Amino acid sequence: MKKNRTYLAFVLGVSIAAAAVAAGEPPAVDAAVSAAAADATKAEAGAAKQADAKLSTSPSSPATKPSQLWSYQPVQNPTVPTVKNKQWVRTPIDAFVLAKLEAKGIKPSPAADRAAYVRRATLDVWGVIPTPEEVKAFVNDRSPDAYEKLADRLLASPHYGERQARRWLDLARYADSAGFQGDETRPSMWRYRDYLINSFNEDKPYTRFVQEQLAGDELYPGDQSALVATDFLRGYPDNRNSRDLVQKKYQVTTDITDTVGQVFLAQTVGCARCHNHKTDKISQKEYYQLQAFFSNVSAVDDIPAAKGEQEVAYEKANAKWDDATKDIRAQQKAIIDSVRDKAKLYNMDRYSQATQLSLKKAYDVPESQWTSQDRWVIHHYGEYGNDDDVLSAYLQDHSNKNAEGYDPAYAEKYAAYKKLQDELKKFDKLKPATGSDTVTAMTELGHADAPPTYLLFGGDFERPLDEVQPDFPAAMANGAKPNIVPTATSSGRRTALANWIASPQNPLTARVFVNRVWDQYFGKGIVETVSDFGKAGQKPSNPELLDYLADNFVKQGWSAKKLHREILLSSVYRESSAYRADAFKADPDNKLLAVFPRQRLDAEEIRDSLLVASGELTDKVGGPSVFPPVPSNLAAGNAWQVSKNPEDWNRRSLYIFTRRSIPYPLLEPFDMANAQQAHSKRDVTTTPLQALTLFNSDVVFGWSKALAGRVIREEGSNSSAQLDRLYEILYARTPDKLEKATLLSFLDSQEKVLKEQALSGKLTINVPTGLKETKNLDPIRVAAFVDLTHAVVNSNEFAYRF
Amino acid sequence: MKIIDKKTTRRELLVNAGLGLGGAALSGFLPGGGFFGAARAADLVDPLAPKPTHFPPKVKSVIWLHMDGAPSTLDLYDYKPELIKLAGQEVPASFMKGIKEGVRGSTGKLFATQRSWKQYGDSGAWFSDLLPNLSQHADKLAFIKSSTTIGATHDISVLKLNTGDLNPGRPSLGSWVQYALGSANPDLPAYVVLYNDKKEPRGGSINWSSGFLPAVYQGIAFRPGDSPILHLTRPDLVADTEQRGTLDLLNRLNQQRATRYPEDTELQARIRSYQLAARMEVAAPEAVDLSKETDAIKELYGLNDDGSKSYGQTLLRARRLVERGVRFIQVVSGPVDVDGDSKNWDGHNNLEENHGKNARQVDKPIAGLLADLQSRGLLDSTLVVWTSEFGRTSFGQSGNGRDHNPWGYTQWLAGGGVKAGTTFGETDEIGLQAQGKKVDTYDLTATVLYLMGLDHLKTTFLHNGRSERPTVVYGEVVKELLI
Repeated sequence: MKKNRTYLAFVLGVSIAAAAVAAGEPPAVDAAVSAAAADATKAEAGAAKQADAKLSTSPSSPATKPSQLWSYQPVQNPTVPTVKNKQWVRTPIDAFVLAKLEAKGIKPSPAADRAAYVRRATLDVWGVIPTPEEVKAFVNDRSPDAYEKLADRLLASPHYGERQARRWLDLARYADSAGFQGDETRPSMWRYRDYLINSFNEDKPYTRFVQEQLAGDELYPGDQSALVATDFLRGYPDNRNSRDLVQKKYQVTTDITDTVGQVFLAQTVGCARCHNHKTDKISQKEYYQLQAFFSNVSAVDDIPAAKGEQEVAYEKANAKWDDATKDIRAQQKAIIDSVRDKAKLYNMDRYSQATQLSLKKAYDVPESQWTSQDRWVIHHYGEYGNDDDVLSAYLQDHSNKNAEGYDPAYAEKYAAYKKLQDELKKFDKLKPATGSDTVTAMTELGHADAPPTYLLFGGDFERPLDEVQPDFPAAMANGAKPNIVPTATSSGRRTALANWIASPQNPLTARVFVNRVWDQYFGKGIVETVSDFGKAGQKPSNPELLDYLADNFVKQGWSAKKLHREILLSSVYRESSAYRADAFKADPDNKLLAVFPRQRLDAEEIRDSLLVASGELTDKVGGPSVFPPVPSNLAAGNAWQVSKNPEDWNRRSLYIFTRRSIPYPLLEPFDMANAQQAHSKRDVTTTPLQALTLFNSDVVFGWSKALAGRVIREEGSNSSAQLDRLYEILYARTPDKLEKATLLSFLDSQEKVLKEQALSGKLTINVPTGLKETKNLDPIRVAAFVDLTHAVVNSNEFAYRF
Repeated sequence: MKIIDKKTTRRELLVNAGLGLGGAALSGFLPGGGFFGAARAADLVDPLAPKPTHFPPKVKSVIWLHMDGAPSTLDLYDYKPELIKLAGQEVPASFMKGIKEGVRGSTGKLFATQRSWKQYGDSGAWFSDLLPNLSQHADKLAFIKSSTTIGATHDISVLKLNTGDLNPGRPSLGSWVQYALGSANPDLPAYVVLYNDKKEPRGGSINWSSGFLPAVYQGIAFRPGDSPILHLTRPDLVADTEQRGTLDLLNRLNQQRATRYPEDTELQARIRSYQLAARMEVAAPEAVDLSKETDAIKELYGLNDDGSKSYGQTLLRARRLVERGVRFIQVVSGPVDVDGDSKNWDGHNNLEENHGKNARQVDKPIAGLLADLQSRGLLDSTLVVWTSEFGRTSFGQSGNGRDHNPWGYTQWLAGGGVKAGTTFGETDEIGLQAQGKKVDTYDLTATVLYLMGLDHLKTTFLHNGRSERPTVVYGEVVKELLI
């Protein structure tokens, strides 16, 4: 209890409400019954303000009766139902779906035509449209296993990993920057993105995938890739400027715990941080027991990376800056060195008292006497508190004649320091804007002893109650207990957690993952609330199907590719999306999947498919994140230094630098993931800003010009052939008669418009790009074709997959 | 270009379409979504259709004036003779009670305001001579002098002011308003962010993020210059008639195909979104075009003074947006040149010059805004909020500045439903900590929503199993500020 005193010493009468918020994510109201939410909320607010009475009711009350919640029950191996229309059943999935349809007397839809199918499957598996050649090859493949070959080809491509990685990045609240106002670059996070791509492409068993992300450092020491995997935990937004590192530790642990609960277990464990969970059997004590698994993790950002091409190139580039600025930095260092100790103490003084107690030990006591908590605080201070620029505040604050402790010598030193700082800035352009020679990871700093975790009254980190030990929430653990074996350098806690999550006995893990994959293909999960399998979430629309998928997933060695393959080859995935009045009437929300659900392309699919269509894609897998140009009126300043190599501008969207404060403007309007928290599901909204973006962006228009050029290059000047080709590229079909007539008449009328424009003296036309031979082309006609292309690019049919 | 299908009248379009048109895939709109429980089907088609308030609203629009960097309200409104008397002394321990050690940094000696002070209007409100123009409107303002918040750094307190949390991820107040009320003018975004810096404010879009609400509810930054929205203008070398032709083709292709999906409201919404975009192309530049404003108006907003010109332009834009039905206008004040550096209100040192210039930047424009709104009869239906992430300390820092003060500072409201010419709450005798009933950011949020006709307890959205609301689990309407 000695350390506990440190906490208790700072209970200084801050209101509970205030303190709970200071601790991180605020306590919110659980909504089992949302209609009554208003009253409940009011009561809650009242309770929070008047504090104690309500919240103190036994926060550790264990789940006395076993929970009846469906998702906590062991996964079953359900019998495949018998159906009438046996021919339709290609995989057991179909039987589960068809049984429900037959029960309602609805027929499934006939299969989509092959071209529609290959466009659909390529978008779903790769995230881009197929080429006309790929479409043709599949349409003309008359072999009995044509679909199997297609599925295997799609799943064998690295694009599969790119697409799946992007989905997982959403969940990992991935960003290349720290967030908050400083929003500093995290130069090594891209390695985690590449780790995901590789893991999916290798079809790493999901269990191993989970274990590496939660405890790769403990389980696989010496394996750089497993170390990088722990960046799943590292993705939290971080305020570098924080003055209370004790609070920060709580905030970080909270973020990690809540994210892990949501992503792997689809449990809203965070609801139990300030009080027992309102709807699920998770006590407040159990919540902190879950936090305790992470009590010893620290972000380490400067682990040397294995030297490959990228690292060597980075070091070479960085050496230039290093050399050019060596003198300046040495002079700066000399100035700070003359006051360093005093400046450090002065800087420390600006931290919360609890923080200072730990920080002072960095000077006063040998490391062997630090507590694990001290270690955490000192480590996280180290990044910031020894920075020369930060320490220069000491000089600045004593430079004014009226200042206490004014010293003219300091004023002089500060002036000199500032001058050097300005000088140094001039060399910023030499610094590589992206890339790194380090790995960032979560480790336990080489120590097995973990700081104690306490149950916190009302979620307030300054009001600890009893110490708790790591354990799993009883209701979902079904008797499982953590087997914690410390290693020489780590507490072993996360390994125990990872092993439990990755176990076939865990009732949630497999269900949650297969449901996410299902959601990806059908636009809705079998459980619609993909990250909430609790009581307040939705119930599975087809529980037997969910359990079949989960059970089979485990039996197939937790292979994601096999799961994808089975879905791709099912009759339900093969259905046509054509409208059917009978199905619409019987099941307007299409819950039973009598019709294949058409889906708007997500932000990345739109951009990446346009890159493919225009032939502009730089098809390179992995590497440091890139900065394509942004509109000049975005005014992003230094935070967005456009990549020097234009090829980098046309990389797939998952390689675009994720700056938390500056979402990439071309993607943002299309409901891209918000990187502040785990993003479970992409919304689909339809807004005029999306229309403005696709219709007016010079970048998109540039792709339309390139696409028009490609079509002319490939088809010559025959308008009809051009139109066929254009439609084949974008829609995987040719235009029907009516469309062709519409398109041809547009070319004529638009030609007139452009001619009039030209006659008026303003010859402002856009011609296709990428053409070597332009002699025989009528510039007005091809300019009209550019406009036509742009209209087709903007159409509903392009923006959806049917 | 046929902007609107002839069969659809403009009125119908407004009713059916709204500004943002949405598919059915808004993840929060699941059963149990609370507020949206009633007219669900319609909301799914159009997330920005106008929606009813909980009770009759007092105002239609809010102008949220965020003084970025945190002004010292001790040098603007909160006159403290005792502080002048005690200047130069250590802070008496009694005043520091409850303030955490360390967080306050190196506590300097008490630092008196250098300004001269006077009372104004019938209300007798105190103003320093930093605000010679605003003080003329003393009787329009309702001061909150017992404001408190959390946080020792700008990052987290700005976030808390705008979103109610110290961590990013929650929706900003404007997003909640847009979510709850929809849009009153489909030709413009309902939630607009203005700033007068050359760069986006620090922290960027996180401060007008829709958080866990669908992205359709986020604030749209109107950027300085003629073309306020990204991608508002045609691509290079594309002429107007030419683009209209292209748009017409697009519309025809979409319509031809749409017959295959007669019940698909999402596809129909996407067709309409291009028509709305075309209207926005015209409406948005027009909304920020100040060329038709008279010289007298420009003068009123301080456009003839380089010290206040860019902020004045921003506020004049704000008024034009209010006239066009924009519901929430968040204005972030930009930095000024202080001793060679670009500085917002964050006066850790050189407070005199800092506040002199920052006050000059905003004083006349804000006074002009209040006068202009009143003369146009808009002040009764508009709420103006003057706020910041926190205030500044009574003790000095680095000899001529002040540190951050989340314990007691001043904000004010003006406009419809507001009890003009009053002061609510107070700080202690040296202006360091709020006394008596304190007003936290949550209370301000609840009060703003109340004036817009919304009960903050009933404005909810289901997220991760929780029914979330703008005030988290806090907040109380400050009735004392209301008529």
